[in-house]
Amino acid sequence: MTKHHRHLWAGLGLGALLSFSAPVMADELVAALKGAEVGVSTYDMLKAINSNVASTLIYDPLIEQNANHGYVPALAESWEEAPDGLQWTFHLKKGVKFHNGVDFNAQAVADWLAMFKGTDFEYYLGAVKEIVVVDDYTIRLDMTRPDPNLLYNLSTPFGGVMEPGARKADGENYGLTAAVGTGPYKLESFAVGQETVLVRNDDYTWGAANATNTGPANIERIRLREIGEASTSFLELQTGGVDMLLGVPQEFLSEAAKLPNVKLMTMPDQEIWYLVMNVTAAPFDDIRVRQAAALAVNRQAIKDNLYGGAGNTPSTFMISSLPEEKVADQFRIKFDLDKAKALLDEAGWVAGADGIRAKDGQPLKITLWTQSDSNFRRVTEVIQAQLKDAGFAADILTFDSATIRDQYKAGTHQAAVRSYFYDSATILDWFFGGDRLGYPNISMFNDPKAEELRKVAMTGSKTGEEFTKNFIAYHEYILSQFPFAPIYEPVGNIAFNADRVIMPETINSPVFQRAAIMDLKLAN
Amino acid sequence: MLGFIIKRSLLLIPVFFAASIVAFLLIHLVPGDPVDSLLTVGSPPEQRQILTERYGLDKPLVVQYGIWIWGVLQGDLGTAIIMRRPVADLMADALPHSIALGASAFIFYTVIGVSLGVTAAIFRDRWPDRAIMTGVLFGSTLPSFWLGLLLMLVFSVWLGWLPVSGARGASSLVLPVLTIGLGGTALVARITRVAMVETQRKDFVMLLHAKGMHPLRIQLLRVLHHALIPVVTILALRIGFVLGGAITVEVVFARPGIGTLLIRGIMQHDYPVVQACLLMLSTAVILGTFLGDVLQALMDPRARASLT
Amino acid sequence: MMRWIAPFRSAFGRPMGSVAGGWLVFLIAVAVLAPVLTPYDYDVQNLANAKMPPDAAHWMGTDEFGRDLLTRILYGARTSLTVSTVSIGLSLMAGLTLGAAAAYFGGWFDRVVTTVVDLTWSFPEILIALILVAIIGPGTTGTMVAIAVAYLAQFTRLTRAQILSLKSETYIEAARSLGASHKHLLFRHLIPNALAPVLVAAMLATGDAIILEATLGFFGLGAQPPTPSWGAMMSSGAAQLFSAPWIILLPGLALTLTVIAINLFGDALISALDIRTKLRDA
Repeated sequence: MTKHHRHLWAGLGLGALLSFSAPVMADELVAALKGAEVGVSTYDMLKAINSNVASTLIYDPLIEQNANHGYVPALAESWEEAPDGLQWTFHLKKGVKFHNGVDFNAQAVADWLAMFKGTDFEYYLGAVKEIVVVDDYTIRLDMTRPDPNLLYNLSTPFGGVMEPGARKADGENYGLTAAVGTGPYKLESFAVGQETVLVRNDDYTWGAANATNTGPANIERIRLREIGEASTSFLELQTGGVDMLLGVPQEFLSEAAKLPNVKLMTMPDQEIWYLVMNVTAAPFDDIRVRQAAALAVNRQAIKDNLYGGAGNTPSTFMISSLPEEKVADQFRIKFDLDKAKALLDEAGWVAGADGIRAKDGQPLKITLWTQSDSNFRRVTEVIQAQLKDAGFAADILTFDSATIRDQYKAGTHQAAVRSYFYDSATILDWFFGGDRLGYPNISMFNDPKAEELRKVAMTGSKTGEEFTKNFIAYHEYILSQFPFAPIYEPVGNIAFNADRVIMPETINSPVFQRAAIMDLKLAN
Repeated sequence: MLGFIIKRSLLLIPVFFAASIVAFLLIHLVPGDPVDSLLTVGSPPEQRQILTERYGLDKPLVVQYGIWIWGVLQGDLGTAIIMRRPVADLMADALPHSIALGASAFIFYTVIGVSLGVTAAIFRDRWPDRAIMTGVLFGSTLPSFWLGLLLMLVFSVWLGWLPVSGARGASSLVLPVLTIGLGGTALVARITRVAMVETQRKDFVMLLHAKGMHPLRIQLLRVLHHALIPVVTILALRIGFVLGGAITVEVVFARPGIGTLLIRGIMQHDYPVVQACLLMLSTAVILGTFLGDVLQALMDPRARASLT
Repeated sequence: MMRWIAPFRSAFGRPMGSVAGGWLVFLIAVAVLAPVLTPYDYDVQNLANAKMPPDAAHWMGTDEFGRDLLTRILYGARTSLTVSTVSIGLSLMAGLTLGAAAAYFGGWFDRVVTTVVDLTWSFPEILIALILVAIIGPGTTGTMVAIAVAYLAQFTRLTRAQILSLKSETYIEAARSLGASHKHLLFRHLIPNALAPVLVAAMLATGDAIILEATLGFFGLGAQPPTPSWGAMMSSGAAQLFSAPWIILLPGLALTLTVIAINLFGDALISALDIRTKLRDA
């Protein structure tokens, strides 16, 4: 109840007025979260459906990823998989303590894993038959089937190890007023939708080796503010209200570069924009038409004109840092308008006077679905114009994000502009698997050869190398069938006040999270 | 009088239930449910069914409504499906912001509107009257989101005086309050002016004039006092709209509040959030109307007769 | 027919009315003539030419896709005017019918109509519109129906009140006692006599409808791109607030002027009608 009173006063402007001009503390880093990380509802990782950088600071996972998506030891010192994929053994670090002083050991991990049952994340352990505590620092998962997602899932923020006792004791309030992990920072306060304040865990010495500093962290306090509106966060950087923007919206990049003392840097992101085509609906049931549409997308023009030259021009379905993205060159989808036109000619779609193609008197008309927020409309309008250059007449239809998913299930769509956030190759299984037609498999792609390659990749990969090799084969086959066309791969833009923040030279994690913060320093 | 209030308040009960049915049905009629938004990469195909059952979305609509309204009557607004928190908590976080904005704007347009209306009435049919009434009309016709963006452009981007958006500190209230306030001012000013002008024509005012009382004294003490009755009634009716009227402005200024919560809920089809917020907004209007009716009846016995 | 033209002529005769009416006529003309008036297409992109400030070639500059902003504002006027008039027309017809029937027949029918209509009144119109668009589906049809529903309450209430006061007048009583049919009474006597204030209300509501359409466009609903709509133009302009403020300023200005003109003209019309009533009474 006290929490609500505090909000009430802040809302009435009284409390806020008093604390309005609070100076930035010398040993406190104030950062604005990036747009995609705004709106986290709880730091209970089994209840949250989104996470932000704070979850990676409060909790350590068993394993972490480095910048190349390789796995590095975190709370697990090492791990091995049985040759048949039916057993995983994790050897845990010793001397680790949770924020509340409780020892971290195999029993804690077992109790934490047991809490997955009954949550929306139960499927993370869907293939786990039994959790076995071998000794104090060894835990074994016995599997019913091999699970290619297991390591990945354990390395995400949702794999952050929570102290089971605290989670049980705090009940509904866990994740809001308290969150107990083993991470480099402790949760001091969390005002949902506004800010998260973290204080350094001075006992932290067990940081994963993808950061140079393995603990404790350099910065004493971190205040993470949630500013939904892009222009506001930019103004806050300008006026010194924040030291750092963890996401600079595209439209402010050039403005931010002009600010004195402000430096910009880019980080890889986890997002791919793409055009998906329904392979069962005319005209995209003809692979030549699909290929033509895919070749008509001018990625360079989109990157240069919509995003001021920032970001990447993807030629596959995956973000560029994933090893499974490295397909043979012949499978990469690249802009080639002449070839697109030739393919449409070959398929019998002849150009008319107005540039729109027709076949048997029927114009090459398609509807292009998209979501109603302005980012989607922007990209879709450009795709519409680019498809027109090849002879497609595309009508745009906009839906809100929940309605559009439902509409896909009817299977009447022809093409849609979409984006996804993910950084594991298993995304192919999710979006192109024959058992999820409609949604999430919007392309309705269901091909026996693809299903076979998918099965090999998903269940037949014994080692990391095999996983990569099998997924490349699956990826290449999907690319050859053109159920989609890549559009754009954003990068994360970070802006920081160079008078305040000393950025490490290299950041060895896929996105800006724990490893980066560990090496971050404040200037005095 | 008491009998009238009791009778009138009993009528509120069926209206409340009707409003709850509308609030419930509206969002359930939108195609698609929240479950798809919860499916994360790698979840098995049967996950959809599991979640649908977990959130009770497989039950017939009537049953879902029954469960919800039964909870509401016991003070339990349910838990948000996508936002993952008790709806009551979400609303408790959002309401103070909306109330701060709505109440400030309400006070703003009441004070400014009554002052302008009184001034216009005193100078009836002379240039200050015309200038005020035209100015007020302009203010009322500006679309709020454009006015908001315009104010933002001038005061935040060009002049850099005030924060662009958000809800940090009292200064962030200024632009949103102005945006809503300008529209409301017109209504209040118009009604005040009309009520004043009507009172000016009454016999007792004529008498006071004949007695040689100072004209300004008559206007401010006697006429205004009398003319305030309809103004207060209208303002009471408006109280219910204070929260709902701020929705667009909240979104434009990216302020936390009931409006932004609702829009987010609608976009994600977070049923419990949308239902609860809609029901609250509509109940506020229903209660505001009730309050207005009662005030009117208290002040004017004839209206009581027509209402009962 | 003359009785409907007279107040309009009188409204045009007032100074405010003539300026406002002039703007509306001008706007309708340029919206209709848009293809002839501008050398540009509203939908052809020229990304190299994006976000150019106003100059001789592009009087109002270009938008983020390098399209001529003036051209898009002209075509946007088509969207705004069509959507608002069609939706208010729909709402007006439904409101007249419902309100008249409720007042004329009274009893339980009246009570049901009043309750339902009051109920829609109690939800903020923008929310009703947002949800209805989601139910009906994307495009201008959804927007039109949503706006129509949002204003239904107003027209129904007004018509009902008008008819109720007319119903007791002697000539209606007389006609009824002479055995006139319901249909005859409603369509020959009651509705025509109740029409004037309802029509003025509809005129004023058209201004609000333009705003509501723009607000929906601002939320990304309504006319589908690349068809211009003032609201959608402003919503994409919001992202360019720093680098190209004209993208948000100019469509908003067009919208504001139009809504003000509608209100001023409506006011002039009210005055004109009042005078006419007074004249008749005298």
